[in-house]
Amino acid sequence: MTHVRMTKSQDKPPTPAARKPRKTEMAFDLWLQRSLHQIFDEVAREPIPDELLKLIQEDKRK
Amino acid sequence: MTAMTTFHDQIIAILPKLRVQALALTRNRAAAEDLVQDAVCNALSAQDSFIPGTNFPAWMHRILRNRFISNLRKRRDTIDIDDVPSSVFATEAAHEDRLALKELGKAMTRLPTDQREALVMVVVHGMSYEALAEATGCAVGTAKSRVFRARRQLEAWLMGEPRQRDGARPAVRSGEAVSMNLSVEDSAGL
Repeated sequence: MTHVRMTKSQDKPPTPAARKPRKTEMAFDLWLQRSLHQIFDEVAREPIPDELLKLIQEDKRK
Repeated sequence: MTAMTTFHDQIIAILPKLRVQALALTRNRAAAEDLVQDAVCNALSAQDSFIPGTNFPAWMHRILRNRFISNLRKRRDTIDIDDVPSSVFATEAAHEDRLALKELGKAMTRLPTDQREALVMVVVHGMSYEALAEATGCAVGTAKSRVFRARRQLEAWLMGEPRQRDGARPAVRSGEAVSMNLSVEDSAGL
């Protein structure tokens, strides 16, 4: 997943204690990417309903 | 192959991605299937307005999105939180992984619609921000912002961090119905 930094301008840089470790963010990103695929890929793989395919193919024949 | 044949083949080819987008928008499997069917009907009716050689996926995704928003305006229903598809729990994932997925599913339903849709289309479809912007009718910066905010909000909820300063909605208890909450920019842009 592409990391996007949309930081606002700040008067002073965050202290080291306040800054989240980059490794934690990357680990979360990886987990999020894998998990979303697990949830949604299943949906994408399901067969298309026959009535929907029929609708498209009937229109194609017009 | 005629131009008409190519158009219908493109619709069939993009159906899996439309289903994913529809589920991201509706949070409900049955509603997602209905939405896809409605969007396909709209696309078939409007096929003369599509210019061959232009960005068909963006055109089709926008039709589905617009249909979703149009349906919302008519109904203004509340929609129950839908669980993660049960088939996910039929996997070999460890118990902790299944619980984490379930929590992610719940958290996803709490996100603003535009953020949820943006996150899914970038992460699951692998869309670029430019493609996402074109498919959802917004600026590239807005598309990036939606994905970033969605990711950040999910991390805050799931990692147990304090509520974000940008005024994210409070967490909703499982089982409560939530109203579909489009962002102000979405409503204004319609």
